[in-house]
Amino acid sequence: MTLFKIFISAFLIDNVILMRFLALCPFIGMSSDEDKSVGMGLAVIFVTLLATSATWPLYHFVLKPLGLEFLQILVFILIIAALVQLVEFYLKKSAPALYASMGIYLALITTNCAILAVTFDNISKGYNFAESLVYAFGVASGFMLSLLLLAGVRNRIKTSPIPAFLKGTPILFVAASLLSMAFMGFSGLVK
Amino acid sequence: MKNMVKLGFIMAVYATVACVSLAFVYTGTQKVIAERQKADLEAALKDLFPQGESFEEITGTLQSPDTSVAFKNEYVIKKDNAPIGVAVRGVGASYGGPVTVLVGVGADGKIAGVKVLENKDTPGLGANAANPSYFVDRASGITFYGQFKGKSLSDPFEVKGDVIAITASTITSKAVTRVVKTAGQTAGAWLAAQTGGSK
Amino acid sequence: MKRFLRTFSNGIIRENPLLMLMIGLCSALAVTTATANGLGMGLSMTFVLLMSEIVISSFRKLIPESIRIPIFIIVIAAFTTIIDYVLKAYFPDLSKAMGVFIPLIVVNCIIMGRVEGFASKKPLRDAIPDALGMGLGYTWVLTGISAIRELLGNGTILNIRIMPDSYQPILFFVLSPGGFFVFALFIAFNLWLKSRLKPVQEEQA
Repeated sequence: MTLFKIFISAFLIDNVILMRFLALCPFIGMSSDEDKSVGMGLAVIFVTLLATSATWPLYHFVLKPLGLEFLQILVFILIIAALVQLVEFYLKKSAPALYASMGIYLALITTNCAILAVTFDNISKGYNFAESLVYAFGVASGFMLSLLLLAGVRNRIKTSPIPAFLKGTPILFVAASLLSMAFMGFSGLVK
Repeated sequence: MKNMVKLGFIMAVYATVACVSLAFVYTGTQKVIAERQKADLEAALKDLFPQGESFEEITGTLQSPDTSVAFKNEYVIKKDNAPIGVAVRGVGASYGGPVTVLVGVGADGKIAGVKVLENKDTPGLGANAANPSYFVDRASGITFYGQFKGKSLSDPFEVKGDVIAITASTITSKAVTRVVKTAGQTAGAWLAAQTGGSK
Repeated sequence: MKRFLRTFSNGIIRENPLLMLMIGLCSALAVTTATANGLGMGLSMTFVLLMSEIVISSFRKLIPESIRIPIFIIVIAAFTTIIDYVLKAYFPDLSKAMGVFIPLIVVNCIIMGRVEGFASKKPLRDAIPDALGMGLGYTWVLTGISAIRELLGNGTILNIRIMPDSYQPILFFVLSPGGFFVFALFIAFNLWLKSRLKPVQEEQA
């Protein structure tokens, strides 16, 4: 599979939020405006790429040769947690404004299902290192895309007449449902 | 500094206990998993070759000529210590992900049977490739994968030609057919060479 | 006993993790295409939650504050791995159907949230009902969503045909958009329930 195909599949066809239901907490929590979405999206792209660079070699050069595959879950999540701590530490020192605006959501990147899922997929899909990085980039960009889309929709929802029983969170999920349907249209994009 | 060493030590203790417990669970369950996989494989091969008495794994012997179809495992089925068939577990790209198909070829140059082992296609559409209650030909009760049984390896294997497609699931139908054709023809040629020409 | 029941029932309705607290959503939508999967996921998660809360509550005095998060992660990851392999060995079809979502139990916000906010501070006799309540609260919602999605999208529940043969399954429900949609309705329903129950509870208070 060419690298481009991997990217498009991860970005659109198998969109991590709208088609695979991953990373829903930040999807609902961080899409209230476009700036937050971009900030969160970029942070996730960064951490996902870092996580892939750390976990892929670790699995292929340490865990597998030593027959320690069963430690995969443990090791991967600890690496991601450590990476997020490092990012937090670094941001606090060099970009305190950004750090403050992200608040608790920065720490929550650790529990972002999408990132852990990407590290797992890289292994289960048998990607080589380059393919893994492209896949990671595709998934994380797809994450940001979905966040931005929902932020845009939320803007419109503010000024639309919503039936009382759907006000608040339910209408967001209905919106997500419609976005998901739209994304299903991408299915035939790549043969 | 001393505090950090102490903290590091405590964490190491927890981590070690966790790893050791996991090692135990892993070795315990691996046995069960391996046995189950063996039993499943035997059942599948018996299904394709009811007269077979034993089978031998020959993975690595056959090479797929088609880059979009990968051969994961190959088995030769024997009766009275003579090969009577070959089964190939092939993987190809389908609509929602890879599709894994077990293709059995008899010494008569025909397909002994096909089993769709794994597929990630849409339930109700592509997933019907593996559905034993979905019939491509209602009148004779033939399932999608059942239609390959007894098919000659020299057939064109064209979906909507000599192969009946699953309604609204052409991509899946083509994917499975491709695996069957590639695996079937490669295995058939190898088997013919082994048994000194087809009957 | 009363204390046990009160803590237990908390997770089922009042502070239902999925519908009220809105955490642990990821697995809730992805695996709910079939009732068996929803039920399986709910019970698997309950196992990890229960075992993690038991271990962490029992050892809470022996976990230094500054490294508690990594230790929580180690414990949760260990139990997640255990359930992963147990399912692979004894329930392989379920394991395959749920795929990557079993390992993802380790980042299920509910577990980390309860362990950090509850089990690390409370004794075992509170931790156990909390885990059971939250776990079952999660399980009933998951099973409910899957039952609806399977019924409308496939005409079956637990693979037993419920709808009459003439029922044409609405594929929408077992596909991604359907998941979001059914969940939206569940939340709406729960919000409505909450608004009806609250005045009654306040009267009694």
